[in-house]
Amino acid sequence: MRKEALSKSTIYILLSFGAILMLLPFIWMISTSLKAPNEVMALPPVWIPSELHWENYTEATEIAPFGRYFVNSVIITILSTLGELITTILAAYAFSRINFYGRDVVFAILLGTMMVPSEVLMIPNFVTLSDLGWIDTYKALIIPWTASIFAIFLLRQFFLGIPKELSYAAKVDGCSEFKFLWYVMVPLAKPALITIALLKIIGSWNSFLWPLIMTNSTEMRTLPVGLTAFTTEAGIQYGLLMAASAMVILPMVIIFFLMQKYIVAGVTRAGLKG
Amino acid sequence: MDIHLRNITMKFQDVYAVQNINTTIKSGQLVSLLGPSGCGKSTTLMLLSGLYKPTSGDIYFGDKNVTNMEAEDRKIGMVFQSYALYPHLSVLKNIMFPLRMEKVPKKEAKERAQAMTKLMHIEHLQDRKPGQLSGGQQQRVAIARALVKEPKLLLLDEPLSNLDARLRLEMREEIRRIQQEIGITAVFVTHDQEEALSISDHVLLMKDGVIQQHSKPQSMYRYPCNRFAAKFLGNPPINLIETKHGQTQEKLHLHTYNQTKQILAAEQRDVTIGLRPEDLYVSSKENHLISGQVIHMETIGRDTMIRVQLQEETVRALIHPDATIQVGQTCYLGIKEENIHYFNTETGIRLTSHEGGSGNGS
Amino acid sequence: MDLNPTKKSTLKGYLYLLPALLILITFNIYPIIKSFVMSLYTDFDFFTGEVFAYGFGNFVEIFQDPNFRIAIVNTVIFVIGVVPLSIVLSLIISLFLNSKIKFRGAFRTIYFLPYVTSVVAISIVWSWIFHYDYGLLNYFLSWFGIDPIAWLRDPQYAMPALIIVSVWKGLGFNIMIMLAGLQTIDEQYYLAAKVDGASAWHRFKSVTLPLLSPTLFFVSIISIINGFKVFDEIFALFDGRPGPGNSALTVVYYIYQKFYEEWQFGLASAAAFVLFIIIFLFTIIQLVLGKKFVHYN
Repeated sequence: MRKEALSKSTIYILLSFGAILMLLPFIWMISTSLKAPNEVMALPPVWIPSELHWENYTEATEIAPFGRYFVNSVIITILSTLGELITTILAAYAFSRINFYGRDVVFAILLGTMMVPSEVLMIPNFVTLSDLGWIDTYKALIIPWTASIFAIFLLRQFFLGIPKELSYAAKVDGCSEFKFLWYVMVPLAKPALITIALLKIIGSWNSFLWPLIMTNSTEMRTLPVGLTAFTTEAGIQYGLLMAASAMVILPMVIIFFLMQKYIVAGVTRAGLKG
Repeated sequence: MDIHLRNITMKFQDVYAVQNINTTIKSGQLVSLLGPSGCGKSTTLMLLSGLYKPTSGDIYFGDKNVTNMEAEDRKIGMVFQSYALYPHLSVLKNIMFPLRMEKVPKKEAKERAQAMTKLMHIEHLQDRKPGQLSGGQQQRVAIARALVKEPKLLLLDEPLSNLDARLRLEMREEIRRIQQEIGITAVFVTHDQEEALSISDHVLLMKDGVIQQHSKPQSMYRYPCNRFAAKFLGNPPINLIETKHGQTQEKLHLHTYNQTKQILAAEQRDVTIGLRPEDLYVSSKENHLISGQVIHMETIGRDTMIRVQLQEETVRALIHPDATIQVGQTCYLGIKEENIHYFNTETGIRLTSHEGGSGNGS
Repeated sequence: MDLNPTKKSTLKGYLYLLPALLILITFNIYPIIKSFVMSLYTDFDFFTGEVFAYGFGNFVEIFQDPNFRIAIVNTVIFVIGVVPLSIVLSLIISLFLNSKIKFRGAFRTIYFLPYVTSVVAISIVWSWIFHYDYGLLNYFLSWFGIDPIAWLRDPQYAMPALIIVSVWKGLGFNIMIMLAGLQTIDEQYYLAAKVDGASAWHRFKSVTLPLLSPTLFFVSIISIINGFKVFDEIFALFDGRPGPGNSALTVVYYIYQKFYEEWQFGLASAAAFVLFIIIFLFTIIQLVLGKKFVHYN
């Protein structure tokens, strides 16, 4: 490509410079989160704290119930991911393996609704959830997110790639359809399911507007919602604020480092399919 | 357990894949479903398996009507062209799978699966995944998996067509060996006539969803019940020579062929004559049936094949390699009269009936 | 061959679909209709669910509302600020990453990292970087003799600050998609162009760019759509306010205000409907033009 136009070393320098810009907020966050208050406000900035003040983390959890927020986020993330996996597996199986009346129409309608942004659906959903009395409960934060058209679409494509003869073989082997789905399709679709689960975990963990609106009480807040509330409580204690932010960010960063392959695959697939 | 198909019809959207099939498959036999692609042979197999349900008609396993029984309840074993092994399971687990589905205890399932690997000579592959096996090995695993639950009926859907020529021959003999060893009823789908003729007790020839002929391999070859059957079996293919009713037979020299003379005279319609290349021999000028210039000559293994120009058509003949014939010469070919096939040109149906062959049913 | 659908297979099909459909109908499909109906509520009591009057009054009202106009203008400025910048940067970076260099995986990981991080949390980190007295950014600017800027308190700089965060956050996704797009381009095209004596720049212009155009187009549309939905960054950067003097008031923020702060469900729904129409239009453009682009491939 342009590699002769720009020498290799120029590329390295530019890419490294960009990489530093990408990493800087993370580095600065960690650095600040471990500083004593006087170092936080130092000019010129101190990059490496002279002493590591881990107590910023414990102090933040004392001022605001970050433990509770964390548990809420974990519960909501796990349950909505499990729910989505179940509904997705069943629906993708129906769309890829069962020929029923109205299948293509239903599928087209679902794909069509994908373009409606969730921000638009928020208001009627709020009304529905208050009618159900679910506002400020786990139910409101989990159940509406236990099905995803995108995930169904992704898994259906994967299922379509599994040869039909395999399902014939299984049936002849005395396997009911449901068992076939569970013992053959699901193990085979593991990479796709991991991708779907990871995208869901990231989305669910980071989601903000929905839990902001659907919760009132402190006990029901998720980490991002709790964090924005904390900014008012922490005021100018940036050490604490950065410690709290790190608590929200780091779990996903760790998951990302462990499972990068699957996440990239999912994002790319999502991108290329539209 | 005999298997009966009664008035079986299968329709996909608006296309008949199988039309009004009636036949019986005898217990313990290996029956081939033979025909060109799209003839309905695979659909028939799928109907036998229960994976497809017929649009109309009934299927009996013995006295039991199984038409509406699901595949998983039919107690059958099936082997697929693509082997259809579970990619995520080891060879042993693949073979155990049907037993586990029947809730056979793990220990017993393992023992039976291991016995199966012995029968199929794949003991040493037990722990491999299907992806690590060759085509032939995969096929052995597939057969083992199909047989492990001791089914009453074994169905094989073009099981050899993904294998190379040498392996195909080996697996063909292997399938026959096992089928006879355990005495299972088996139905074998193939488009390869040689395969069908060599392996089976009976051959069921199909075309356009209709059974053309159901008979023993030898009688199907020797007494094809119509022009299609005659053409489909045999390699190189049968020579078909059309004669016009009431006209002098310029292509044929009927001097010593009294039976043919009589038949052509007796029939009040156009007749097509079928001559298999391997039945033709070089004869004297007096006793020949057809003659013409040799336009091509090649040696195929132990035989020599020649092509002889017979007016506007060519006739193939397999002749003894010692015959002193050269391209360009005129050659005289004769045939034993009982080896000549006669067909109604219009309908394609065989004119003289012989013992052993039959049309629909058997 | 596919088996014809039967009554039995239909029953089974819907049984498998039931859990997903139950959720999707309740929380995705029904609200689409409901949202439109609610935008017509001109007189409505949320607590009793009673609707006293219907009409297009809400639409008239929001279009007369100067704040809504500000929100639309701000959103458009935001999109214009983010999308071209983000596309150009991610194109350059992905071209670099696609060339034969070392540490490609490590670079990719780093650029992609912001994608998985919480918008809210990282925006709070950015608000610290934007800090007037002790922020890193003003410190760096001081190296070049630039006076401190009140990024988050000066209405003039609120939008640039928001754009910086959004470009930084969205770069990874765009790079990922473009890398995938670049990988689909057959090496043979480059070899052919090279044999024809095309210069590097020429090869980029006549091979890479046209062959990547479907991807670029897709990324642009997705970025525009996402740009119209911006909210979390604003809420976190400006501490639960739409920027100083409404300088970062966007459409979704406007909806949020009407809905959650003022409990004007009808107005909020009308604004949401306008947002939907805008996004719908871009989706249609993508579908129509996207099909055309496919022919180039």
